[in-house]
Amino acid sequence: MIFTLLILSSAIMAVLMVGTGQVRSNIIFYSFQTLLIALTTCVFAYVENEHKHYILALVIFIVKTMGLSLFLLWLTKRIGTARDTGTFLPHPLAMHLSVLLLIFAQILSCQLPHLSKLEDFSAGGTAGISLILTGILFMLTRRLAISQVLGFLTMENGIFLFALTQASGMPLFVEMGIFLDVFVAVMISGLLIFRIKHSFEHIDVTLLTSLKD
Amino acid sequence: MVSYIVYSIMILILPLLLMGFLQKIKAKLQNRIGAPLLQPFFNVLKLWNKTQILSEDASFLFRFGILLNFCIATYLILSVPWLNFSPMIMGLDLFLLVYLLAAARFFNILSALDTGSPFGAFSGSREAALSFLVEPSLVLCLLAPGLLINSNVMSEMFAFKTAVNSDNPAVWIFASLGLFITALVELSRMPVDDPNTHLELTMVHEAMIIEASGRNLALCEYSYALKLTLFFGLSVQCFLHAVSAFLPSNEWLTLFFSVIGMFFLAAVLAMLETVLVKLKWTKCPDFIAYALTMGMFACIVALRGRT
Repeated sequence: MIFTLLILSSAIMAVLMVGTGQVRSNIIFYSFQTLLIALTTCVFAYVENEHKHYILALVIFIVKTMGLSLFLLWLTKRIGTARDTGTFLPHPLAMHLSVLLLIFAQILSCQLPHLSKLEDFSAGGTAGISLILTGILFMLTRRLAISQVLGFLTMENGIFLFALTQASGMPLFVEMGIFLDVFVAVMISGLLIFRIKHSFEHIDVTLLTSLKD
Repeated sequence: MVSYIVYSIMILILPLLLMGFLQKIKAKLQNRIGAPLLQPFFNVLKLWNKTQILSEDASFLFRFGILLNFCIATYLILSVPWLNFSPMIMGLDLFLLVYLLAAARFFNILSALDTGSPFGAFSGSREAALSFLVEPSLVLCLLAPGLLINSNVMSEMFAFKTAVNSDNPAVWIFASLGLFITALVELSRMPVDDPNTHLELTMVHEAMIIEASGRNLALCEYSYALKLTLFFGLSVQCFLHAVSAFLPSNEWLTLFFSVIGMFFLAAVLAMLETVLVKLKWTKCPDFIAYALTMGMFACIVALRGRT
């Protein structure tokens, strides 16, 4: 029961993240989402009685909930972007669309075979697929490079949740490797955003296709 | 018999007391002493004894609209289960509630337009825009508990006895949150409208009643307080259903929690109004979309629980 509640509220946090154009609130919603995923991992470790997942939960909390969120907050402050104007879909409509995607994810996850020992196996699949789809939607409807990073991170969370709940997680070293990759990717993209801002004076990805002398 | 007396006392006292409490908390948070807790009662009494001044261009519609608004608010406060025990008029349909609110708003807008002042005109158009944005979320938030028990009668939906509607807390939490955001918009409180200022740019509700004076204004203020009680009460009831597994089944204790919850919501609103700034008018739909999303979540969880 509490597992289902936690895992679905992380998907709900992702949906709520789509609804606002304020980059700061987006990052705060992302931070809550990862906090809920860390708690889910804790509960999962308790249910499955596997100690490596406690370490995993701690690493998620330190790297994603605190580290990446604070880094991105610092980055937005540094480059002085407050608001994402969005591309082709207004933010409220994108949020309602991602609610529909959540229903779609629920339908999809009901078709999945029972692999996990968990009672309510479909909630994990629902949250995982929904996070992946919401991340894609977030990347599609946003204009700023920093929002693209956030969408990518949301997708990564979805893949992690899906692997955790459907296949009882991957080996600890693989997970750690992924975390390191994500960490480095965000750092490098932060650096790139810095450079883009420096040379183009904006971080609007829709305008990057046009050539500049 | 005792419950009827308690209910009547609640209806008479609670709305204006909530308004006074809201003002007081807000004043305290802003480092002011603030008006006394009973100021809304004094205000209504004072306005009741004042002479009313009507615009020369106003027809019968102006007073009729205000009176009808008050009548609908009174009917709703008697029939909607905003407290934990059953209301005096049973069997209110949830769609009737939505339509009655819409009718009240319609006549409110008409009476604002009737005096021919430009303030009435722009506030009317703003109120109409807000109301059609917020109506779907109100319907969805009320529909979700109805989906749980296959009924659209309010008093059955909010009955505490049935086990079906209390074993699904997520529905009630989403409905509660959605109703609270809806209440902020319906009552034109802070993020969409600043009730304190009388500035042309910011007014929605205040500009609608700007032509009212004397008894008309007293009726306007009282029906506003009734609506505030109604929405806060519904939101608190939803929340109490969510945590009803942990509540003792004593009726009077639940009543106590309901009243405390409403005062708590008023305090939350006072805090929000101290901290938040008014949204830009074009950003209001972004905020209202969250209420609709909460309603959608509530309905999804309710449907998921049924299958």
